[in-house]
Amino acid sequence: MRRNDLHIGHYVSGAGHLTVIGWLLLGNIFTSEPPPFEMTEVSVISSTDFDALVAGQQSPDTATEVAQPAAPEVTPDQPEVTAEPDTQIEQPAPVQADPPADDAPPDVTELALPPQTEVTDTPPVLDEPVGDQAVLVPEIAPQAAPRPVERVAPEPVAQPEPEATPDPVEQEAVTQDETGDTPQETQEATAPEEATTEIVTEATKAPAASPRPPGRRPAAPPVQAAEAPQTAPEPTPQPAAEAPQADPAVNNDDIMAALEAAQDATEGAQADTPAPAAAPSGPPLSAGEKESLRVAVSNCWNVGSLSSEALRTTVVVAVNMAQDGTPIIGSIQMIGSEGGSSAAAKQAFEAARRAIILCGSKGYQLPAEKYSQWQEIEMTFNPEKMRVK
Amino acid sequence: MKLRFLSLFLVLVCALSGAVQAQQGPLRIEITEGVIEPLPFAVPSFQPESAESGQLAGDISRVVSEDLTGTGLFREVPASAFISTVSDFNAPVQYADWKAINAQALITGAVNVQGNSVNVKFRLYDVFSGAELGDGLQFSGTTEGWRRMAHKVADAVYSRITGEGAYFDSRVAYVSETGPKDARQKRLAIMDYDGANVQYLTDSGSIVLAPRFSPSGDRVLYTSYESGFPRIYVLDIGSVQRRVLESAEGTMSFAPRFSPSGQTVVYSLTQGGNTDIYTMDIASGQSVRLTNTPSIETAPSYSPDGSRIVFESDRSGTQQLYIMSATGGEPTRISFGEGRYGTPVWSPRGDLVAFTKQNKGRFHIGVMRLDGSEERLLTASFLDEGPTWAPNGRVIMFARETQGAGGSSTLYSVDISGRNLRPVRTPEGGSDPSWSPLQK
Amino acid sequence: MNRFLTSGILIAALAMGACTNPDRFGADGAGAGANAGATGVVPGSANDPTSTAYFQQSIGDRVLFEVDQSNLTAIGRATLDGQAQWLMTNSDYQAVIEGHADEQGTREYNLALGARRANAAQEYLISKGVPAGRLRVVSYGKERPIEICSEEACYAKNRRAVTVLAGGLTS
Repeated sequence: MRRNDLHIGHYVSGAGHLTVIGWLLLGNIFTSEPPPFEMTEVSVISSTDFDALVAGQQSPDTATEVAQPAAPEVTPDQPEVTAEPDTQIEQPAPVQADPPADDAPPDVTELALPPQTEVTDTPPVLDEPVGDQAVLVPEIAPQAAPRPVERVAPEPVAQPEPEATPDPVEQEAVTQDETGDTPQETQEATAPEEATTEIVTEATKAPAASPRPPGRRPAAPPVQAAEAPQTAPEPTPQPAAEAPQADPAVNNDDIMAALEAAQDATEGAQADTPAPAAAPSGPPLSAGEKESLRVAVSNCWNVGSLSSEALRTTVVVAVNMAQDGTPIIGSIQMIGSEGGSSAAAKQAFEAARRAIILCGSKGYQLPAEKYSQWQEIEMTFNPEKMRVK
Repeated sequence: MKLRFLSLFLVLVCALSGAVQAQQGPLRIEITEGVIEPLPFAVPSFQPESAESGQLAGDISRVVSEDLTGTGLFREVPASAFISTVSDFNAPVQYADWKAINAQALITGAVNVQGNSVNVKFRLYDVFSGAELGDGLQFSGTTEGWRRMAHKVADAVYSRITGEGAYFDSRVAYVSETGPKDARQKRLAIMDYDGANVQYLTDSGSIVLAPRFSPSGDRVLYTSYESGFPRIYVLDIGSVQRRVLESAEGTMSFAPRFSPSGQTVVYSLTQGGNTDIYTMDIASGQSVRLTNTPSIETAPSYSPDGSRIVFESDRSGTQQLYIMSATGGEPTRISFGEGRYGTPVWSPRGDLVAFTKQNKGRFHIGVMRLDGSEERLLTASFLDEGPTWAPNGRVIMFARETQGAGGSSTLYSVDISGRNLRPVRTPEGGSDPSWSPLQK
Repeated sequence: MNRFLTSGILIAALAMGACTNPDRFGADGAGAGANAGATGVVPGSANDPTSTAYFQQSIGDRVLFEVDQSNLTAIGRATLDGQAQWLMTNSDYQAVIEGHADEQGTREYNLALGARRANAAQEYLISKGVPAGRLRVVSYGKERPIEICSEEACYAKNRRAVTVLAGGLTS
């Protein structure tokens, strides 16, 4: 019986996938708007098209101005809509963006230490859902359930100290740029934003005791975990402020420890040797050095604003590096993608590009003597693990 | 044990280093871990291009910002942090100034009001790449429809950055509710997706339930007791004219939904205490019975291609979800988790079914794949029910009724990741939301 | 005379009882209170065995159901026996049997469940001799609870089938 079900499941799944594929291909039959993910259509839309896109709609001015129940007041929208394009044809063609004259890559001084942001981003306030609050059952240790935090990161980060402003890259507090001529604004210490290692939905929080009166249902155990096994909260280690812990779900602690050790070792060795000016050749990067780069890029790879399809798309991005460890922005390009449409790949690439630029703005920690080894880098961004978070 | 593992690993690392040494060409690394956080963006107030444009320029940029922030995928960098101002829509962008405040996306715009007509232009910049994302666009319309133009701008920005389909320029039909639970007054209402521009389509003289949009967004089906018995009505939103879909004396009909063609309605009909699923051709009134069992079959919803129907049935003893052909026939059960499953709704992308789940005295909104796998519960409360999909299949709206004598119903939306649960602002209580297709 | 008065009150009650009027779903009979306090059998009062008030209060106009069930309980059957007898005696009355559910359920399912309950009551009355043509059913699902707390004490009273009398067409 169960086996039958499985077979049926496969058929349904297969049929479902075909349906999805068919729908993506033939979507226009059912949706008159451009199908989801077909971003190219949106960006290359012609002037007449977007003139026709919008039609003024007879609607109250503001949210508070509520139409009275008197139904006949409502006037048909359609006539207006069809009338619109006639006048809109005469609208001037959309202004094509003039490429801004001076969008030269940022200069080195700027990259060396970006001015401190003034973003008054207080430690993220918990986005507690309004309304029915789940109450933690005493038996469940409070730390077992991750708190809902806006940021999900590979490594849990404790709530920053109040003085620290969130910043993707940890930064030492400096009072003055000691090497530069131009005095720099005083910087506050920054700390990574608070983060959990998985998304906490309302459904994964421990539910409150059943409101259903006893006797209505078979007596439920006094302590209820979230019911769906798929969403059962994994115990997550308490975020540690000083020593960020490895993501228990993904990495083996031992591996991470080894990597950190290796990394520390190489970094220590490096510190002894002042960075020579661009040695043209050198030994390959150690695993620790590569890992350090990988972690650095990971910290800025924000997949939070990606579509579900882009989250199924792996992209390979090539970048050329300057000797100071900063990426050469103009060199960043997608050299391959897998798993999604070209539109999805474009979004995935853009997120990857943002990650490379964002966390590389101060220069990645790469051994200068091995510059020839990392002058060209190919980064594969595989979001598979991020989808399930 | 730990030590042994460690040394084994170190050996591996050495071996790997050796392999790397032999490697030619670029350095290759794989990134599999990232962060999930709202993308910071800046929307300097749009430039007024005429003397009378000032008010709308500010209003439109505010709505664009609210749309984006409301997704939970974006975070606005407040204007107080801005280093540079945008004084000319066509002037080059000072990327460094926006980088400095970590605004990763920058939206600039201009608004030109001439009498009753308004023209809105915008550009979107990827600040850290120092490049424009897509070409500038402009929209024209009437000043009364300014919110729609703001939604169009936000839709374009949202789509370009996320790759998801647009959904801000859409509406929601729902039941507006007032009064206590034992004397609840209900009337049909329609609003913008964000709760603005509410219009009432019926008075509260009779109970109305569960409006459902037509695929073209110009009509709604709903159930009303105005005859004394539940009957299905189809209402033209523009003219507010309605007509009843005829059903036999002594029967009740409810839970209607349009087929993707808009020509057929699938619904539940109760006769002799037994509820089954039927379809009716709207033009001819011809109906076809799809299920024929003594159990309750209700809450049918078409697949986006119109070939199949997902519905709930208690034929197994409890409410569970089933999929059958749109012409009837033997259904396949898809829900197997603990508890009861109802009100399935097929996603517009076709790959997921949203549902209401009851388990251990609590209600959840959840999604699962068509074979019942990957069930994911998005919410939990005393009573959540009636999910409806945003036109892009990324967001779900539903109703949450609170407990007890003073309980009331409120609309909520949630991202299908389970993040960003938030109430939808409506003037009164709300239930039974139905999200429209994207407006033309 | 008697009947005339009864139907007059009944019509008044019905006029008040538009389906959005919560009183219609209330536990107390509509229109019954006006004549209270008079001596003897006041036509239309709860003491008048042919009155709707008498039907509601003395016979009992409702039967209750277990969670998710539409099977009649022993108490429910006894109440319906009384209803059947009364309806046979007062043959000018028609009745609409309203099925209801508590709030713990989805809207559509509860409509269907309420219909099952109303139908169970209807079939029982027919089996006791009440002509099918005098009985109609409607379900309100969870739309019209009479008790509003979210506890079993309230839910138990909301899971019900209520026989609402309507005057005969000719009276």
